[in-house]
Amino acid sequence: MTRPRQILALGGGGFSMEAGNALLDDHALALTGVECPKVCFLPTASGDADHYIVRFYRAFAAGRCRPSHVSLFRRDGGATDLAGHLCEQDLVYVGGGSVISLLGTWGAHGVDLMLRAAWEAGVVMTGLSAGSLCWFDHGMTAFHGESKPVRGMGFLPFSNAVHYEDKPDRRAAYVAAIADGLPPGYGTGDGAALHFVGTELVEVVTSRERARAYHVTPEGAEVTENELATRFLGAPLAVEPALAA
Amino acid sequence: MPPERRRTPTILAMGGGGFTAGSDDPALDDLVLELAGTPRPRVCLLPTAGGDSEHQIRRYYETFGDRLCEPTHISLFRLGRKPVPLREHLLSQDAIYVGGGSMVNLLAIWKAQGLDGILREAWEAGILLAGLSAGSMCWFHYGITTSSGHPEPAPGLGFLPGSNSVHHDSEPARRPVYLEAVASGAIPAGYAVDDGAALVFRGGSLEEVVTARRGARAFTVTADGERTLECRALTKRVNAAATIPAVAELRRLRVARSGGVRD
Repeated sequence: MTRPRQILALGGGGFSMEAGNALLDDHALALTGVECPKVCFLPTASGDADHYIVRFYRAFAAGRCRPSHVSLFRRDGGATDLAGHLCEQDLVYVGGGSVISLLGTWGAHGVDLMLRAAWEAGVVMTGLSAGSLCWFDHGMTAFHGESKPVRGMGFLPFSNAVHYEDKPDRRAAYVAAIADGLPPGYGTGDGAALHFVGTELVEVVTSRERARAYHVTPEGAEVTENELATRFLGAPLAVEPALAA
Repeated sequence: MPPERRRTPTILAMGGGGFTAGSDDPALDDLVLELAGTPRPRVCLLPTAGGDSEHQIRRYYETFGDRLCEPTHISLFRLGRKPVPLREHLLSQDAIYVGGGSMVNLLAIWKAQGLDGILREAWEAGILLAGLSAGSMCWFHYGITTSSGHPEPAPGLGFLPGSNSVHHDSEPARRPVYLEAVASGAIPAGYAVDDGAALVFRGGSLEEVVTARRGARAFTVTADGERTLECRALTKRVNAAATIPAVAELRRLRVARSGGVRD
């Protein structure tokens, strides 16, 4: 059975940002189509911060999945066959932090090539913030203060901006960059996630009813932001008839 | 800014020890300040190789916060929360201290962030470059890294000629790999350094070997094998700084200014 290539790119959210709201993380697990999926966390963008790794294991407790992580700062003692370990996962979860440091470190260890092989073999890729930007051709990073485009791994032939609604200056910088020739792409708010099958966006899912995502493209001399349809993953608020009466 | 100066580019390459090793080698930490060459040097820690670990940063402030200097650090992983003008900050220092960790990650991240060029500028301007472990090997043409779990040669920045291997006494698995890599010609000849020992380079030449621990040694490693280098034992200045009234005053000011919490 061949599995499709899938990426779930979170603008922000999941266990890193939404304590008590597991909707996006649960959705990522569900996309694997596996009962008890193998999930590997890559905390590279945070410098393999200990507290972040602990939070991952709390959120992805053994029982509903088989969690592991790879520390590229402390490889002694970890998985020796990194490529093999990544390829046998059902889900790879990339944490947030510095996308520039993330891609620099991955390149030095060959992790970019390993992830491409894993993605092509049907391992679902997910992540937020830096862990979302990395899959695209270009991502907007504001890590040095000013928001500017950086090259990603290019699995998805678009650009991407994260934390989109919450940071208006980032939004303006993204629109300006696309006007300047950056490939068109997606602005994704916190609580929203883009689900790609292959390189096609099939759905935008959200963990909050008000979370938004936009397709940002040049149209003539203008750049337009088209709000995308979303599907809220939680149960809609029901009105109790007895209370309503 | 310090007065106009034209100092010889200087690198202090430590095999291990200093503040990250507990309080074993205060003499090496003192030497960093001495080589920085100003009465109250500005020192900036780059904890990149350790993934900007909180532990390394805390140990650094515990150590240098108690000495006559102005310690700061740059977390390249947290610039988003705390933007720093990298070049301006680094070039205004008297010493740049590079912590240990993964040499491969250190160099990859520095290159991605453009720090390799800034550090060369700093070195050429006479700002002391000090570091241990990965922070020592990074200055040479080659080091012996354990970044992928086992010892193997990896290229450095090449400010200093030859190669370097660290923890020569405490991590014996490095030794055969280093000797073999030099003997086979895979990497150039160089220096193996124990924990508690350090090389002082002026320009590209080794000026002296210093040690802060009894029995700590450094060696030249060539195709013919290793040969012990002569070294100078550093004397411990037991908490000398604490007896200077100006230091006590500075410490009080620093704590008051930061609301009792050092960053």
